[in-house]
Amino acid sequence: MRVGVTNLRVKYAGASELLFNDLTLHIEKGEKVLLLGPSGCGKSTLLQVLSGLIPAAVPVPMKVEEKMIPESTGYVFQDPDAQFCMPYVDEEMAFVLENRAIPRSEMKGLINTYLDKVGLHFDDPHVEIATLSQGMKQRLAIASVLSLEPDVLYLDEPTALLDPEGTKDVWETIKKIDDDQTMVIVEHKVDHVIDFVDRVVLFDDSGTILADSDPETILSFYKHKMKEFGIWYPGIWKEHEHGLKRETKNALSVMTIEDLKGFKGKKCLVELPEAVIHEGEWIVITGENGAGKSSLLLSIMQVLKTTGDVHVDGKALHSIKEAREKLAFVFQNPEFQFVTNSVYDELAYSMSEDVQNRVTTWLQNYELLNHQHQHPYQLSTGQKRKLSVGTALFGNQRILLLDEPTFGQDAKNTFKLLEYFEDLRSKGITIMMVTHDPNIVETYATREWIISKGRRVSDRNVNRGEEAVVHAVDS
Amino acid sequence: MKRLKLSDILITIVIALVFGIIYKLWGPVYNLVKPFGLHVGDIVYGMWFIAGTVAMLILRKPGVALLAETAAASGEFLVGSEYGLSVLLYGIVQGLGTELVFALFRYKRYTAFVAALSGIAAAAGSLIMDVAYGYILDLALWNLLLLISARVLGGILIAGIFAYFLVEALEKTGVTSLVRPASHEDFKALDK
Amino acid sequence: MQLTLDYNETWLHRMNPAFKLVFFLFLFLGLLFIHNPNIITYVTLLPLILVAFFTGHKRKLLLILMIPFLLLFVSSSSSMIFFGQGTTTWWKWGLIHITEESFYRGLHIGFRALNFALLGLIFALTTRPVLLFYSLTQQLKVPPRFAYSFMAAVRILPMMVEEFQQLKNALLVRGVKKEKGWKRITQSITLYAVPLLSQSIRRAHRIAVAMESKQFHNGKRTYYYETRLSKFDGLFVLYIVLGVVTMVWLGLEVPTYEITDVRNSD
Repeated sequence: MRVGVTNLRVKYAGASELLFNDLTLHIEKGEKVLLLGPSGCGKSTLLQVLSGLIPAAVPVPMKVEEKMIPESTGYVFQDPDAQFCMPYVDEEMAFVLENRAIPRSEMKGLINTYLDKVGLHFDDPHVEIATLSQGMKQRLAIASVLSLEPDVLYLDEPTALLDPEGTKDVWETIKKIDDDQTMVIVEHKVDHVIDFVDRVVLFDDSGTILADSDPETILSFYKHKMKEFGIWYPGIWKEHEHGLKRETKNALSVMTIEDLKGFKGKKCLVELPEAVIHEGEWIVITGENGAGKSSLLLSIMQVLKTTGDVHVDGKALHSIKEAREKLAFVFQNPEFQFVTNSVYDELAYSMSEDVQNRVTTWLQNYELLNHQHQHPYQLSTGQKRKLSVGTALFGNQRILLLDEPTFGQDAKNTFKLLEYFEDLRSKGITIMMVTHDPNIVETYATREWIISKGRRVSDRNVNRGEEAVVHAVDS
Repeated sequence: MKRLKLSDILITIVIALVFGIIYKLWGPVYNLVKPFGLHVGDIVYGMWFIAGTVAMLILRKPGVALLAETAAASGEFLVGSEYGLSVLLYGIVQGLGTELVFALFRYKRYTAFVAALSGIAAAAGSLIMDVAYGYILDLALWNLLLLISARVLGGILIAGIFAYFLVEALEKTGVTSLVRPASHEDFKALDK
Repeated sequence: MQLTLDYNETWLHRMNPAFKLVFFLFLFLGLLFIHNPNIITYVTLLPLILVAFFTGHKRKLLLILMIPFLLLFVSSSSSMIFFGQGTTTWWKWGLIHITEESFYRGLHIGFRALNFALLGLIFALTTRPVLLFYSLTQQLKVPPRFAYSFMAAVRILPMMVEEFQQLKNALLVRGVKKEKGWKRITQSITLYAVPLLSQSIRRAHRIAVAMESKQFHNGKRTYYYETRLSKFDGLFVLYIVLGVVTMVWLGLEVPTYEITDVRNSD
């Protein structure tokens, strides 16, 4: 036996209940185990206990009858921007080797060996980490962890904050690691992992083990639980296609764009020569990182310096103030849009009449009434996102601009949000949304724009559901 | 004594570096309000004591104020402060002042009043440095008194009250729970 | 702090960073013992020459960086010039009382501040922070916990700058009304300082945990960059020693002012 706990109890400071109540879990040498469960059930906490980080580095109150923690552990974290301490790739790799007191003369060679293992090739590894893509950063994190020569490798949602391409690369990298490497994995996106692991442990809300078996068994008997817990299992998108309304009518145009260019300083970040947007459209804007998708939204919103015209309901937008009356905008990080100290105030802000009534109704509709006195920062990520959309739309704007609203969310929250948007859309609200997720394009969008190097290179209507329906097409 | 953990040190230094940048930007502000020589501008001097108080109010452990003020000064120095190396020495002495006040209260009181006192102590530290550096004892007496009162008032207002409200606003977001130890009740709950 | 500035490496870059820091601190203390305005005026030439010719940075950048120094000179000297004590009155008007003694004392303080500023600029322009912290742990035995925390923290700053930009945009879109007077201050706390600080604190916490997970400890370790003393450190000492001797001699033999000690003699 390599790692395990017997009768583990954990309690977070101030929490009303125990996170685990006498949990027992043992993992054999060479096993690859996937821990599944709803957000907040304590999977990451368990991973940190099993790796010894709790309580050594993170002092959370815990009690355990017996524990076996391996001497050498490697831990890959979720956030690519919060696991490095040095500015350059070679320096970060060297940091681990220094910790292991490896002689300096061997470092250069070892750095290259480990970088090779994760498929990162540099002529000279003295490369600024900040210039790497998020997926490459995670592979670097894996390389640096492998250089610890760990007995057990812990992966804590290593792809939660990556786009689909980065996700694929990272899992391919992990699959190439030695067969006899013991691994404990927490992951919400099951697609890439399920064929790779030997064993799946399924937790429920209270952190109790619901099932512990091979992947096939879990997939065939516990799919309903996975759905309930917000796990991304294979085929989940197909299940959500039903019930989506197909387009049936030509709609009114609500926004026209002509010769729009967005600048940062003197540099043109994005341009859009012409576009007509219709009521009730759901336009998804895709493209590579840095292609100019967010800049396009910011230009329409008049946040960037722009030239050209944006007309909404026949009225030209010249300033951010005018744009704000017509367009609602939700940023990638919802926290930055919060300006008050409570959920209620957040919604009431910038409202003048019938405040109490409208806010309470909204809170009820979107299941936030119990949280109305909380600080917005203390909400869960899904709730934060919902609140930021709510606050953005309180001016009765008819067009909603969204910058990667489902980024990093579990399946449950993602579909809740998408259904929320769909509900708005059915009421005539037009949606423009930046995303990396091709599934959203296929399932929910009515139109897709692809942006590349600051230009729109494709504009097509997407056929939702079974029946192809063409509606208004730009002339 | 509660020893500083790595996360305490890193968080302290990050906070300090943020203020280090503000310290650097504060230089021109101070130089603009100062040249009249009447020292009214010294009210803004208190900004240069704030890192120690803020970090101490957040982390609540011995050594944090000294570390924070020294780190903030180092940051200011490394981005090319016009005060050069002097900021390092000033930072250390000011940080000692702040630290001393919290130590006098045995690291048990973190109120606005104690924060204000720590601002005064930091101001005293900076004045001691000024005696060696700027011959301030050779100023006319009325002028010296004006300098001292403006400096102390700035310490109270900015490094004391302002810092206190900043941390109070941070507390509401829940982020400070990351650095606060669990209570005995939490540990007792494990045995139920 | 050079992150991406374009520059040529000079012999000042190749000095041992910890030695440079300690030596500069001694120079700083040494300057406090100069009370003769003639000497300090000449001494100012020493760092000025280094900044102008040996930092490897573009002249234009250097000029921009030195603009605040003028303001600094004026602001450091003015209160002493106007309100310092002295016996030989030059001019008196209301509270303002300029004496010969106070004037030169003010000038002296201005030059002193200028010297510190130039030395600080030299250090900042010719020292890579990572090497400084490596050198501090190796030469001065600073505990790695502190040195590496510094390096990790420096990495967080550019991320904060980016977040600040996003935050500004978000607040613009939200349409925040600017408060007036005192309320403006509390408003800027809640709107800017709180989001940025709380985000950074959380990030710092995560990075610290990640560092510990990589077996970071205070015990024995090897170093990727080994920092040693070299001939460049010797060269610098030689430059300063010869320079100071020359300037002191000039100050004594070719004085520009009549006063030779700015301290109040009462």
